[in-house]
Amino acid sequence: MEHAIETFSLTKIFTDWWGRNRVYAVEDLNLKIKYNEVFGLLGPNGSGKTTTLKMLLGLLYPTKGKAAIFGGDGTDPKINARIGFLPEESYLYKYLNARETLDFYGRIFGLPAKVRKMRIETLLDMVGLKTVANRPVGTFSKGMARRIGLAQALINDPDLLILDEPTTGLDPIGTRQIKDLVIQLAKRGKTILLCSHLLADVEDVCDRIAILYGGKIQTEGQVKDLLLQTDKKQININSGSITDITTEKIKRLIKADKAECEITSPMEKLETFFIKTVVAAQQQDKSTSGAVSTTQISDFLASKSIEENILDKLVSAPVSKPTESTTTEKVELLKTTEPQPDKQLLEQLTKPAEPVKTVSADETETTEPQIPELEKNEKNILEQLTDRSASKNDNTEQTDTQTGESGDA
Amino acid sequence: MHSIWAVAKNTIRQALRMKIAAVFIILLLVLLPVMGLITTGDGTLKGRLQTFISYSMSLTSLLLCMFTIIATTFSLTNDIKQKQIFTVLTKPIRRSQLLIGKLLGVTILSSALLALFSVIIYTIVIYTPKFYNASQDELKQVNNEFFTARASLTPTDIDVTDEVNKLYEKLERNGQIPPNTSPRAVKALLTMQKKLEKRAAEVGGELLWEFNNVKPLDPNQSIFVKFKYDVAVNPPDLQIYGRWVIGDYRQIQSGKIETPIRYFDRKDLIRTVYEVEVPADVIAEDGFLAVGFINTTLNDTVVMFPPKDGLEVLYKADTFTANFIRAALLILLRLVFLACFAILASTFLSFPVAILLCLTIFSTATVSTFIVESFDFMSENVSAAYRYTLKPIIQLLPQFDKISPSKFLIHGQLLSWSMLAKVAGIMICIKAALVLMLALLIFTYREIAKVII
Repeated sequence: MEHAIETFSLTKIFTDWWGRNRVYAVEDLNLKIKYNEVFGLLGPNGSGKTTTLKMLLGLLYPTKGKAAIFGGDGTDPKINARIGFLPEESYLYKYLNARETLDFYGRIFGLPAKVRKMRIETLLDMVGLKTVANRPVGTFSKGMARRIGLAQALINDPDLLILDEPTTGLDPIGTRQIKDLVIQLAKRGKTILLCSHLLADVEDVCDRIAILYGGKIQTEGQVKDLLLQTDKKQININSGSITDITTEKIKRLIKADKAECEITSPMEKLETFFIKTVVAAQQQDKSTSGAVSTTQISDFLASKSIEENILDKLVSAPVSKPTESTTTEKVELLKTTEPQPDKQLLEQLTKPAEPVKTVSADETETTEPQIPELEKNEKNILEQLTDRSASKNDNTEQTDTQTGESGDA
Repeated sequence: MHSIWAVAKNTIRQALRMKIAAVFIILLLVLLPVMGLITTGDGTLKGRLQTFISYSMSLTSLLLCMFTIIATTFSLTNDIKQKQIFTVLTKPIRRSQLLIGKLLGVTILSSALLALFSVIIYTIVIYTPKFYNASQDELKQVNNEFFTARASLTPTDIDVTDEVNKLYEKLERNGQIPPNTSPRAVKALLTMQKKLEKRAAEVGGELLWEFNNVKPLDPNQSIFVKFKYDVAVNPPDLQIYGRWVIGDYRQIQSGKIETPIRYFDRKDLIRTVYEVEVPADVIAEDGFLAVGFINTTLNDTVVMFPPKDGLEVLYKADTFTANFIRAALLILLRLVFLACFAILASTFLSFPVAILLCLTIFSTATVSTFIVESFDFMSENVSAAYRYTLKPIIQLLPQFDKISPSKFLIHGQLLSWSMLAKVAGIMICIKAALVLMLALLIFTYREIAKVII
């Protein structure tokens, strides 16, 4: 059994009561998602993403074709026990509080009381809802409901995580936390199917993507293969002391090669700026009635010191071999990319000590933009923002590996 | 089982926290004590108790039936409408387990509420005589006729088919059948006449009823003969002189008298119900009892005993408490059936439509006898079509009014375990089971994520 998810000519046609107005929601879909792969299902609204997920999970029946999860039926309880599903909206029981919600789902999985209790507390901690755990989820904001929705999807330590628009309604920190979590879970051998129309989310975390339109796959492949622009080159200069003279020299050099270039200082991403601001406010202990957006996900997933932590339960599969596309985008762009420039050119460029500049060039062949490698990005963005030490990051890596080997408790 | 229990627990939480149960709990908690204080009945202690138990049991049954219907339909249709079911059904739980969990949750909650209100009613009933300034006669009367569980014996219906057929043939031979009259109508009339003859005594004539298996709870207590006279011609003073003979007449034939045979002469008004107390020692050891009536020559008319309440022998077979518990269990059977039906309705209908269907079924069940009789009467001319189409469907409906719990308690009439088991067998094991199987079938094949408008 090579694939975690496989569909064979999966087709769903919606009709009205009289059998008229036939709408092909999904048409002849052949999807193959390997084990330990982060797969992104993209498409505009109404392209058939959610319908596909519903057919996979047995909430809708295919008009034609077949869908298989772990080689079985998505309605089989044995298969369901290995799946975590976060629907497009969290769909929670409004009268239950956050703790009771997780307890309810934990009971359906038949988790022993001790394990259930431990997982609930750990998950609440992870999604930043521990302080509001006794509030009915009906009073939660959309983002908070999303967080508890994610927690319920993880309560069984799933082998396969199906996330439908997971970042909808989340603040940028929550979005980042989910992306980090996806990466961490993938590192530990989980298979993840991510369904979204927010392209940035998918690009950051997915190994492979498929773009759906009109119920059909328009394109499918590795993210890096699809996004690589072979007709352009990009040079990143990681120095704050590059002078104007040097930049002029670079321009001349590139012009000599019959190409055009533009040199500007890089802009910080709004996401990074936002996270910095919130983290600063949290460090000043400013109160909030909402979710506590902290570094919990990263700390949590990385920490090994906590006895019976979430890693023991949630991400117990062996650590997978990291791949390029499983990395998240670094906020500090100059550090995230690892350019491999032409040595000769680099020497010319870096001779004088001048202020930092970013050079982007058209039709030059200096360097190829690279998808960030995992090893370079292990340090979590939130840790960077909150000035975590490098040594801690190293420890984190060790923890991950050890946990993966130890397996589930 | 753990997933069924998780769903059941969640269903109970839902009913309590969404304040569905609160409305019914508050209503009953207020109304039951108020009813206990204000009901007076006919002014006697027995009347007060009968009125209170009648209203309180009927109200409790009605409100809990409504609660069960609303809580069950809301629980499932709301899960589907609000889509929480997407998250639940993608967990390791079968659809049948989800339905059974919902059913279990509502049943547990309904049973708990029924137990609570039954305790309140029972307490009020037991303490009413203590707070009511009743005479000794009144106390004796309520002990004999209310705080009891009396078994009721009525004469068996005699089969007169052969006699009717012979008489019809004779009339036909003699050309006495009126023209344009169907044989069925003539035979029905003849059957009625023949049955009336079996319950009628000419002047100087007698009637004898035999009963077996008469087993009073305490042989030293009394049995009661309840009767009502009807006459062909009204006597001038509207009274009948009757002689009653009660005991084991087989002893006279064998010549060995072991139990007494009691005679008594009475003068009673026609078309009025009387209850005569007789020592229970008249019953033979094997449980045989014979009751005889002689239409004395002092009368000048044929005396008849109406089929419904003409003659009844009553004896205490169990305690009031045990009878009360069984009456409460009878209500519980209704609740379980309604919960099953509400589950069925919720598997394919939206909340308002499911509620409407359930309330229609509930209303139909409470007047089922009337409905069945009406259809029987109306369908005389289309008997075959009716018998094979509509009648089986009507028969499938529950018949709550056929065995009403308050009816048993009002008259201190025994609701036996066997009777309860029979109702449970028909209403739960057959009808509710069929309904639940249909619900499981529909729900299993339903596309949960498909929007139903």
